[in-house]
Amino acid sequence: MFSKVNKLSRIFNPRNIAVIGATDRPNSVGLGILNNLNANLGNRKVFYVNPFQKQVLGQDCFSKITVIKEEVDLAIIAIPADKVLGAVRECIKKKVSGIIVISSNFGEAGEEGKVLEKQIQKALQNSEVSLIGPNCLGIINTANNLNASFAPLMPKRGNVALLSQSGAMIDSILDRATGENFGFSKIISYGNELNLGLNDFLEFLRNDKETNIIAVYLEAIKDGSRFLKIAKTLSKIKPIIVIKAGRGEAGQKAALTHTGSLSTDYQIYKAVFKQAGVIQVDSIDELLDTVKVLSFCPRCQNGLGILTNGGGLGVLAVDFCEEFGIKMPALTRTTIQTLKQESVLRGCNLTKNPLDILGDALSSRYEAALQSLLIQPDIYGALVLQGVQIVTEPMQNARAIVRVSRHFPNKPVVCCFAGGKLTKEAIEFLEENKIPNYTDPKRAVLAFRNLIIK
Amino acid sequence: MPILEFEKTKTLLKKYNIPFCETEIFNSSVKALNFAKQIGFPVVLKIHSSKIFHKSEVKGVKLGINNEQEFVKAWNELAKIKDIEGILVQKTAEGVEMVIGMKKDDQFGPVLMFGLGGIFVEVLKDVAFRVGPLNTSEALAMIKEIKGFKLLQGYRNQKGVNINQLAKTIVQVSHLAEKEKNILAIDFNPVIGNPKSVLVVDFRIVV
Repeated sequence: MFSKVNKLSRIFNPRNIAVIGATDRPNSVGLGILNNLNANLGNRKVFYVNPFQKQVLGQDCFSKITVIKEEVDLAIIAIPADKVLGAVRECIKKKVSGIIVISSNFGEAGEEGKVLEKQIQKALQNSEVSLIGPNCLGIINTANNLNASFAPLMPKRGNVALLSQSGAMIDSILDRATGENFGFSKIISYGNELNLGLNDFLEFLRNDKETNIIAVYLEAIKDGSRFLKIAKTLSKIKPIIVIKAGRGEAGQKAALTHTGSLSTDYQIYKAVFKQAGVIQVDSIDELLDTVKVLSFCPRCQNGLGILTNGGGLGVLAVDFCEEFGIKMPALTRTTIQTLKQESVLRGCNLTKNPLDILGDALSSRYEAALQSLLIQPDIYGALVLQGVQIVTEPMQNARAIVRVSRHFPNKPVVCCFAGGKLTKEAIEFLEENKIPNYTDPKRAVLAFRNLIIK
Repeated sequence: MPILEFEKTKTLLKKYNIPFCETEIFNSSVKALNFAKQIGFPVVLKIHSSKIFHKSEVKGVKLGINNEQEFVKAWNELAKIKDIEGILVQKTAEGVEMVIGMKKDDQFGPVLMFGLGGIFVEVLKDVAFRVGPLNTSEALAMIKEIKGFKLLQGYRNQKGVNINQLAKTIVQVSHLAEKEKNILAIDFNPVIGNPKSVLVVDFRIVV
């Protein structure tokens, strides 16, 4: 027996790569993969395999992978589905570590494709070769600049691993995240899970030093019991965020029991995520909001101190705290005394959480108040709200918040600078300094909720 | 999908220490009446039939039978219903009506369901799910998750439910589901709970 997970580390760090179906045909997936691979070669060699062309992009082609003399760690297959089985057999002969099958028209297309998948599975059975896909976008490892995919862009390096059943979802998320201050460690498009599947990748990411957060788009899970087991322990060390698509409730009506008719697949998935400690989100926006806060901030216990320069924003935030079960500890006598000693806070009501430092608050008030709030032991994190009033200094406030939060490395500070043009620059400064900002109190409160360790 | 027979169901519940309301099935009114006197009035009479799924739709349930005369009248009415295989005599359980269910899912194995009975489950679908097997704290979290949890703690004049006993019952159902491989689905509806006890009143196990 060999460990699939060990194989994955070779697949993500290949010395040599062969592209089966290498082509320079404009607008082809094959060319896209070559361009992505060639953009950052490092010490890797890429061999082109194409029996119909002598040269591609000025480099000699091999007629098949077995002709290559040097060892090949990773083979990428991008040829029509009916030719894939033959290519996989050649790869097994060549003793590659891993194969990525980009090609589609397999199980997702119908019966014929399912037969092909079974044949490939059989071919792999007695080999030590692992396979990603088919019907996938490929993989990216930012740590070594490996882009073995046809994604339209290379993401920034960071601590988020993104796994997706759908390749298009990855493209959209990467594009959306381009301007953000968080980045990605691994991108894994796992397609039809013919051989390696979600569970194997989760196991692999458990020990991946580059990855601290795992984001997953999925439609269905293969081997649900194993998923629950893996996710339960993994989510405690690396938060897992899931978008689950497909809420269909069909096929449940004929059930004999109440339980049968009420327990739709979606209900069961929701229960599984809850039990596994997985954060479930509904949209790409929510996914990115969650990834951002987890990427920037430490996790903490339930207890939020709120600071605002406007009553309205504070009340909205409190509403959502109540709705989402977030505790807002009362200010202790010590905290109140500390606040009262600050001359800049004179005239404010310094007894309540949320702490309203009034509409004419300058950055000195923000700084003094935030400092005092975060000293209180049962306040585990802070939400700083800012409406842009005529005297407000967004940039100075941002600087003050960054300064204070540096003294409390274990207490997350989430900001809600609610605004647009007037706050843009300040928000950029906050986020460059890993203080997440949300322009709406609801999103900010939700973000804080996802930091709380249950 | 066949339903597990009455006596086998009772044996199974006993095996897993799942408390149920004292119930016997009869074909003779004389023996049935003796049993009713033995467990004490008020009792409940229900038709037993493998062909009828919704007993109340055929008026097959008689509640609150307080004495011998009422018993005989109710028995005679029920005996007229088509397709019945016997009549159940059951002690009257008082308290909050709840539902405990289980379904074996292809992907995740036994999925447990808990909720309040009646309209809460049928109309409002106020239920919680978990994949088994469950421990006590997971069962407690499941119980607390439903919107109607306050009703289980006692509300105004209504008494609450023994939550620990309830959690224990859910845990036991999850063990049963885990170990009895041939069981595909369970419906305990209602399960009636009060501050003293939690009893399965009606059961249907699909094998």
